[in-house]
This record gives sequence, C-alpha cells and structure tokens, in this order.
Amino acid sequence: MFEMFTYGFMQRAFLASFLIGLACSVIGVFVVLKGLSFIGAGTSHAAFAGVALAFLIGAPPLLMAILFGLSTVWVTGFLQRKGKMKPDVSIGIFYTVTMALAILFIGLMKVYNPEVYGYLFGSILSVTSFDLKVILLLSLAILATIFLFFKEFHFISFDQEMAEASGIPARNLSFLLLNLISLTIVISLKAVGAILVFALLLIPAAAAEQWATNMRSMLIYSVLIGVFSSWTGVMLSYWFDLPSGSTIVLLAAFIFFLAVLTSPKRRRAKPGPKETPAL
Amino acid sequence: MAHSHGKGTPSLEAAKPIVRFSHATFAYSNRIALEDITLDLMEGEFVGIIGPNASGKTTFLKGILGLLFPIQGTLQIFDCACEALRCHHRARIGYLPQKEMIDPHYPITVWEVAMMGRYGAIGLFRRPDKADREIVLESLQAVGMDTLKDSSFGNLSGGQQQRVLIARALAQRPEILLLDEPTTGIDATTQHHLIELVQRLHRDYHLTILFVTHDINIISPFVDSLLLLKTKLYGKGPPHEILTQETLSHVYGKEIILAERDKRPYVIINDTHHVG
Repeated sequence: MFEMFTYGFMQRAFLASFLIGLACSVIGVFVVLKGLSFIGAGTSHAAFAGVALAFLIGAPPLLMAILFGLSTVWVTGFLQRKGKMKPDVSIGIFYTVTMALAILFIGLMKVYNPEVYGYLFGSILSVTSFDLKVILLLSLAILATIFLFFKEFHFISFDQEMAEASGIPARNLSFLLLNLISLTIVISLKAVGAILVFALLLIPAAAAEQWATNMRSMLIYSVLIGVFSSWTGVMLSYWFDLPSGSTIVLLAAFIFFLAVLTSPKRRRAKPGPKETPAL
Repeated sequence: MAHSHGKGTPSLEAAKPIVRFSHATFAYSNRIALEDITLDLMEGEFVGIIGPNASGKTTFLKGILGLLFPIQGTLQIFDCACEALRCHHRARIGYLPQKEMIDPHYPITVWEVAMMGRYGAIGLFRRPDKADREIVLESLQAVGMDTLKDSSFGNLSGGQQQRVLIARALAQRPEILLLDEPTTGIDATTQHHLIELVQRLHRDYHLTILFVTHDINIISPFVDSLLLLKTKLYGKGPPHEILTQETLSHVYGKEIILAERDKRPYVIINDTHHVG
C-alpha cells in the first residue's frame, strides 16, 4: 500500500498537493471573506490562455501563465482605480476574451498537444521537479507575504473603507492581495486544472466559515480541509486511476456539504425567525 | 445660550480650530456634492451635522478623513492640507461609517473588531503588544462591551454592534470622532443610550465630535453647535440660532413645522416624499 511513496512522481505529487492545498486554503479565506470570487474565476482562464500561447510559440508555460494571470489583475485594478469600469464587468469581459484566445491558440496548433489539456483538467501526477521548485518558491513567497500583512488583510476584508479611514494603506494592500490570489491560481494550474482551480480556492475556506467563530479558527479549519482533500485526492487518484483535479475538488465539496449540515451558525439561525429583520 | 454648552465642555472661546474649510467644493464625477464651504471646527466641539438626504453630510466627513479632496478651495485638518493627510494623521480621526449590512456569519469576535482600531498606530509588520491590548480593553469598557469581548460580532444586536464599532474608533486614541447616522435602524431607547454614550466620551476624552444625523430633535439637546447642510452651508451655530423657521426653511422648504417640547425647539419635517 505504501509502495507509492517510493515513486519520484508520487513524492512530487504529495509535496505539490500539500503546498497548493496550503496556499489555496489560506488565501481562500480572504477570497471568501472579501467576496473576491470573480477575480479568481477570471484569472484562472486568463492564465490558461497564457499556457496555450506558450505551447503555440514554444515559450515556458508557467511564465506565460504568470504573465497572463497578473495582467488580468493589473488591468482590472487600473480600470477600477480610474473609476472607468466596475471590476465585475471588466473581469467578465476578460474571462471570456481570454478563453476565446485560449481556444484560438489551441486551434492554431498544427498537432494535437495533450499537455495543454493537462493544464485545463489538471494532472498532479505529471508535476516535474522544475514545476515543483516553482510551486515551492511561489507558495512560500505567497504565505510569507500573507504572514507579514496578516492583520491588514484581515481588516480590509472586514471593512475596506473603515481600514482606509483609520490609516491603513488599504487600496495598495487590496491590490497586493489580488496579485497573491492570481499567483496562487497560477501555481495550482497544472495540478488542479484551469477549470477546477478556483474550487480549491473557494471550497475549503467556505466550509471553514461554517464552523469558525474567529479568524484564527477559520484559517485552521480551511488549511485542514484544503490539505486533507488534496492529499486524499492524490491517493484516490493513484489507487483508482481517477483524474486528480476532480477527485480533490469533489472531496472538498463533500466536506463543504458536511460543514453546512453541521454548522452551529445554521442551527442557531433556524429557531429564531423573530430575529430575522423584516424585508 | 447657556443650555447649548455641555457641562464638561472646555470654553470654546479659548479653543483652536482643528478643521478649517475655506471655499471648499467637493464633487463626484461631475455632480457637485458640497459647494463653497467655509467654516472652522474648534477643538473639543460637539457638532451635529444635519440636512436632508443627499445634502452632502457624508461627503463632509469623507473630506475630513482625506478620502475625498476639494476640487476648489482648501480643507485643513490638524494644520495639514487634506490632500497631504498621511496614514498617521488618519489614525487620529475615529470614524463610524454609515451602517451597512454586516454579514452575520463573518467569523470575528468583539475583541478582534476593537483591536482593528490599533492597526493604524501599530503599523505594518508588527503585532499588537500589551499596551495595545490595554487600550482595547479600556475602549471596550468605555462603551460597556468588555464583558462580551469573546462573543461573535455577528450575534450582537444593532445597538451593541454600534458600541463595538465606537470602541474600535476609540482604540485609535483619536482627537476627532466622526459618526455617520449612528442612530439609524435601532430602537428609540437604544438611540438615546447611544447619544448619552457619545456625550460621555466627548466629556471624558475631550474629543471633537461630528455627529451626522437626519434626526434633528434627537441630537440638538446634546450639541454645542449645529451645522445645516444642503450642498451649501446654510448655517452653523448653537441650536437655538439654527432651529428657527427662517433658517430651516432654506433647506427644508415650507414642509417644516417648528414646535416646542420641554422648553426646547422641536422640529417636525413634513416630508411627503418619504411616505411609506
């Protein structure tokens, strides 16, 4: 049963899924609390377009994914700051345009390239040692940045305007947070796939919110759920030859439903119709 | 005249101006929100800011917070142009924003909310220390919420949440406290307790207080002066000077009835636009 740990690709898969599960579940807490779901969906598709272009012109896929992912955030941030466009509109356009670009780039390829589809659907068992180095480096950088600005990120998630008014450089930090989200998506792309990466960002944190009463408990629950579903997902996909990305996401989703069913918040909300404000 | 000055208010004649508007005009993309405002707010003054909906009351506060700059004229806060207001200046201004829907499931405790008031002063890369924790505890005690410090913020009543948010502002150790419609959406008794709390904080901490409200009657017994806004400034002075038929009719038109209750002016606004 444990012979799988003797294979190099399995060792890499376990380490990669640990780092990705950790980074996604930590940053996911801010995605859920600050309501940034849309930016995650937009970035993952843009990053995939970057990957498709990289395979077309022969550039390093990870680099192009980073370039496309971050530029989504920069363009959206720029348009919002200038007051020209609401982020949900610009992201909505970015999302579909980059997907159209990705399809175009794939269509322009002379030969069928299965590796591109790996980035679309995720294949954690094919993570190379170069991939692993990039994942390690970037996930540590992401986690360190969150550690450094933790209390500020906490404040801007609670109330951005109040944070700015009380002397926090809220706009710059909010922009930094978007960049971290984008990078987290890029490093998870190969393992989980562009279509599903967003789920790994959202689901562990959303499940944790069901049980948590404060920030610390939400973080701990989210990390436990994220890492548990990543590891268990990798093992199941090895034993039963299942696609890794979808196994991980389905496991996390299963935990989410358990969390909703057992949430003390839902229980409390039920018997008190008196407390619900009139519409 | 005597009734308009609170008991503990230091004599305003000796006070220095802490906020100075000089012909300041504020706008949001082509719509003018406040026009040609010139006035001084004194250190330690308790000011009620009144006016109908969309009369620029919140804009007035946002200017003082340095979140919005005048397109004409100037605004000085602590001898500093509002455009040059840095983070450490902002930390000297406590702010209670107009109440929005706060997600009741947001996982945060009363203590964590109040501690956020320290974050500006603590600065980046540092953690709260013992002194910060003492200030937070003291701020929660000042609003009477220290016994609920480990409770979930989302489980509190509207009035309790307002108290915690005031404690958060107090934890900044501010010189100015800005309150934007703090009495909206809470019952009359709680409203009264909240204003008494603000009055006590004004006295105990020698705060300059700017209290925005559309409810003139609830605030006028407590303030040193009232400020009447409707895009322009229609008057600033002690309540008995502002609460006259003539001054109020500039802003509220003919829809206003001035009565008397407990020997104080009582304003009834016959606002037909808001029936239902």
